[in-house]
Order: sequence, then structure tokens, then C-alpha cells
Amino acid sequence: MSDRMGGDVDGIQIKLWRWASSNAIWVVLALLFIVAALLSDAFLRPVYIFNVVRQAAPVGIAAIGVTLVMILGGVDLSVGAVISLTAVLTAVLMDGHVANIPLAVTVALATGAIIGGINGTLIAYNRVSPFILTLGMAVVVMGITQIYSGGTARGIVSPGFREFFNYRIGGIVPVLALTFLGLALVGVRLQQTTKFCRNLYLIGSNPLAAELSGLPVRKITITAYALSGLMGAMAGIALLARSGVSSTFAGRGLEFDVLAAVILGGTTFQGGRGGIGGTIAAVFVLLIAFNLVNIVGLDYNAQLIVKGAIIIIASSAYIYFKKVR
Amino acid sequence: MRKLITFVGSTLVLIGLWTGLAVAADDARVMQEKRAAEMVDTSAYKKEGPLKIGVAAGYMGNSWVVFTLQHIRYEASLHDEITEVLVTDAAFNPTKQVADIEDLISKGVDLILYWPVDDKAIEGALKKAKDKGIPTINTGGGFVDSPSVTASVFIDQWNLGEMVARRLFQDMGGKGKIFAMLPIAGTTAAVDQLAALEAVMKEYPGIELLSAEYGDWNRAKAKQITENLLQKYPEIDGVFSPAGQMSIGVAEAFDEAGRLGEVVMSPGDEYNGWLKWVRDHNQGGAVTFPTRAGQEALRLGMRILRGESVRKGMKVPSEYISPGAAGAYAEADRPDDWWASELPEEWKPK
Repeated sequence: MSDRMGGDVDGIQIKLWRWASSNAIWVVLALLFIVAALLSDAFLRPVYIFNVVRQAAPVGIAAIGVTLVMILGGVDLSVGAVISLTAVLTAVLMDGHVANIPLAVTVALATGAIIGGINGTLIAYNRVSPFILTLGMAVVVMGITQIYSGGTARGIVSPGFREFFNYRIGGIVPVLALTFLGLALVGVRLQQTTKFCRNLYLIGSNPLAAELSGLPVRKITITAYALSGLMGAMAGIALLARSGVSSTFAGRGLEFDVLAAVILGGTTFQGGRGGIGGTIAAVFVLLIAFNLVNIVGLDYNAQLIVKGAIIIIASSAYIYFKKVR
Repeated sequence: MRKLITFVGSTLVLIGLWTGLAVAADDARVMQEKRAAEMVDTSAYKKEGPLKIGVAAGYMGNSWVVFTLQHIRYEASLHDEITEVLVTDAAFNPTKQVADIEDLISKGVDLILYWPVDDKAIEGALKKAKDKGIPTINTGGGFVDSPSVTASVFIDQWNLGEMVARRLFQDMGGKGKIFAMLPIAGTTAAVDQLAALEAVMKEYPGIELLSAEYGDWNRAKAKQITENLLQKYPEIDGVFSPAGQMSIGVAEAFDEAGRLGEVVMSPGDEYNGWLKWVRDHNQGGAVTFPTRAGQEALRLGMRILRGESVRKGMKVPSEYISPGAAGAYAEADRPDDWWASELPEEWKPK
């Protein structure tokens, strides 16, 4: 009897570990959230929690796209520059008039997708290192933004645009937060159900085998990068909606936040593994870490140490959960 | 007893150290004022026209320097003897700025105006210019006391911080809890503004500084930090934020939390987005961070090229503008990322 009980307990433990190992980043997120809630009751208030989701929107949306190219074995360092360009572009095209919003948003999204498409085409046909190519593209896009804007973020946001995205449904959930969660859910669903996403994993795991087996590697590469550019543009629009834009470098440095989240979420530079779900969890891990050190009121330099330590501990915990089975 | 002696002893040492540091800071300030007031003999630079002016921009990536450069171009247009204004952009790269300055020297410019990425990195290149008889003017940053720099036209961040702090504390009635929103940690702007704030706080014992934050001149970051502080502190009575572009992010966070009514915003600068906010809310006002520093730098350069003696440091004074008056400077049909300036319409950035 006792053996049987012991066997059951072992079975449950194994199942728990298996669950933890395949959802490691969510476990880390849950642990961090518990710590945060113990240190500050702000993390127990729905209004604040959804505020955190809204804060995460620009980086989170961009990270969805970058996850796709990293599953493919690539990377997109131009995403920060795309965010800056599309935020400025949207504001300029709006020019303070409500009637211009559809055109502004459409052109911004198309611009992001085209930049991504160019990245993808060059990588697919020239086999250039995605690191170098997208870094180069980032510099080009920064230059275009400066020339286009003349150095000042000269657009005027239409009345109602920011008010709409920042409106809290039921006094709690901002539309922007809901949009981000919606995009994340769509991304996860597509990743689980579409042939395109399955092909991304196959190409990422073994590009040569994928090509020899007749997969349309080039087409998939171009589409993945175009999607990354498109999501970058959405992130630019989200940034504009969240806090307006006050410079032509609004998205500068965000590519590193995006990369940190994607890698922490389990999508590696080698490709073929990871996924959007992990990325989203990692975006929240990093953001809660930032908010936590801020709320606890640490001195700026101490904040840097704690933030770095949280990233290291979180990634170590992630590896631990992955290994223990 | 021994513990008591140790405690009293260490307290005295700490007080001594603190006083020493404060005195040292005051001394450094007095020394800077003294050095800035020294006269420079410019007879060696005297030149007849035609003149070529070089501008070695450390970066062009923010609207303040874009306006500053337009002021330089406008001033150049007022001088018939100036035939050309050559502008280089180092895009935050100190090595490129060194090469840019060398290029300007080889192109035969008669005067170099610059704003640095890193003062130390370009010292050698500036010395080359000076050795070739080309005066160099640091434009719009802090005061630079270097033999390679002929003169500085600067905006005193300490002075600006002091004015902002005084106005804030007066508006708060001399008591309450505040936080400070500062630019990038470690920059002269952040260090001097915080030092000025702390100095003024000594005169207002009723003011408590909850936290000093660094928003990196970034509206989104300032907003995010403020959102967190709003969760941490149930009472915030005032915000010290001399940079208008961060002040908007701060004010938005208070507004969205439904707590705008409880807070007094300090004056920002003449950033258009902030002036629009001041106009709509009739509070805060502005302490100017004038983009005409560029124009003043070229004027000073022209005096140097005429061989007139000039001060080593020329301060472009900041001025307080009340909320009512500041609101009037807001340009509703212009973007937020724009500066109120005295530039004629045709010289404003397009």
C-alpha cells in the first residue's frame, strides 16, 4: 500500500517537473510575481497589473516578430530603428487630423513590412549573416528617419488616437494592453496550428535538410522577416499610443530589450526551438524586474545590479527547470 | 563607553567628510565662475573675410541641437563676410568627431563651433585647430576649461536646477514630498541639477526628496518610472523635472492614475510639448534652456575673428517664464518635439 502511495507521489512529482521543465519561464514569472507581490501590494491591484501589461506592449509586440525569425535561426537587430521610424512616420502622416489615422497606420505597417521583407530577401538570396545585415539595416533606417524628420519628431498625433488606446475598459483594462494580449494569443495560436510556423522550426533545426526536402526556405525566410518588420511597425504605433513620441530615437535600445526577452524566453540563436509564449512570459519577467527595483526604491546604480542579477538568476532557474526531469 | 566614543567619533568623521565634500563642490563652482570670467586675448585670430565657419556636431539626433544649428545658420546669414557654413555630424561617435574636426581644418575653416560627444576624446583634434590659428568654441554644453578650447558658450545646469527648485518649492508652499526626474545618470546635466536641488533643499527643511530618478530625456521612460513611483508612494506633492520632454511623461502618469490634482509640477523648459501642457493646465511654467546658444556662439566667434578680447566662458542665461506667459509660447499647430525660439519663420526647421 505504502509502495503504491510512494509510486503515486513519485508520478505526481515527475509530472510536476515535466510540466515545470516545459513551462520554465512561466514558473520563473510566477515566482518573481510572488516576490513582487510580497514586496509591494501594487502587484495585487488589477489596475496596476494591467498597467504593467500596457508598459510591456511596445517591446512585447516587437518581440513576437523577432521570435519568429529567431526560431528560423536568424535575428532582427533593425527592430528598434523600425520602431523609431514608424512612430515618427505615423505621427507625421496623422498631422493632427482624425481622418488621417487609417492612412497613417496603413503606411506605417506597410513600411515596417517592406523593411522586414528587404531584410528577408537579402538574407534568403545572399546568405549574408542576419546579424550584420539587420545591423546595417538598422543604421540605414536610422538615417532615413533623421533625413525624413529633419532631426525633430515633427508629427502631431491625431486627437482621440492616444485616448482610444489608453482608455481603460471597465476602468481597469487599457485597450493597448488588450491589443497586446490579443496579438500574443493570435501569435501563439498560429505557432501551434499553421504549416508556416511548423516550417520555421524545421528550417531552424536543420536548414540544409529543410532545403533538400523541398521546403520553400527562401519564401518562408522572407515572410518571417516581413512579419518581424510588420510587428516592429505595430510596436512603433503602440509606443506612439502609449506615451507619444518626443524624439526621432524613440525606439533606440529597444532591440536589446527585445532580444533579451526572446532569448530568456527560450528561443536561441541556433534556431529550431522556443516560441512566442516563452517570449511573452520573459517580457513580463524583465518588466516586473524593472518595476520591482523601482518600486522598492533602490538607488539607480543598485537598480542596475539587481536588474542584471534578476536576469542571470531567471535564466539560470530556467536552465535548471529545463534540465531536471 | 567605548561604543559611545566610537559612535560619536564616526558621526563626527562623517559630518566632517560631508562638510568637506560640500565645501569642495562649492569651491569647484567658485573656481569655474572665476575661470569663466577670465579674458582671452584673441589678437592672434584676427582675420578679414571671406570667412568659412565649421560646425562639428557631436550629434544631430535631438530637436534641441537641430534648433541650435538653425540659430547658427541664421546668424551666419546676417554676416556678409561669411561665405559658407560647413556642418559635420559625428552621430554620437567620438572617433568620427575627431576625423570631422580634422576634415574641417583641412577644408580651411576660420572658426570651429562644436558640441562634444566626449570632451576628452576630441581635445587633440581641437588643439590641432588652435595650433593652426582656428579658434574653437564649445557650444551649448557645460563650461569647458581646456587650453584647446578658446571659449565656451554655455547654459549653466546648476543655475537652471536652482531656479527650477526654488520655483517648485515656492509653488508648494515650502513643504511636501517630491521626487526628481533627471536626465542620463552621470551627465553634467544630471549631476549639476541634482546638486542644485539638494543645495536649495537646505533652505527648505519642509521638503523631503523621496527619490531621484533618471529618465534619460525619454518621455516613455519618465512615464514608466513615474507609474511605478505612484504605486510606491501614497503621497507625492511635487515633481522636480527641469526637462520638459520628461515632464510630459511624468504629468501623463499622474493624470492616468487620477492623481494629477495632488501634485505640483516644477517648471520645465521651452519644449513645445511641455508648453502645450502648461497652456492647458496653467501650472509649472518654464525655465528656459535657450536654443539661441548657437547664435550666441557664432556672435562670440565673430568677435574673436575681429580680434576683440572675450570672456573664456559666456553664459546664456536661463529665464523663468510664468505658466500664463509660457502657455502663450506654445505652438498648437507644431509637434511636441519642437522648441519655442526667436528664429524668424523661414529659419525654423522644415
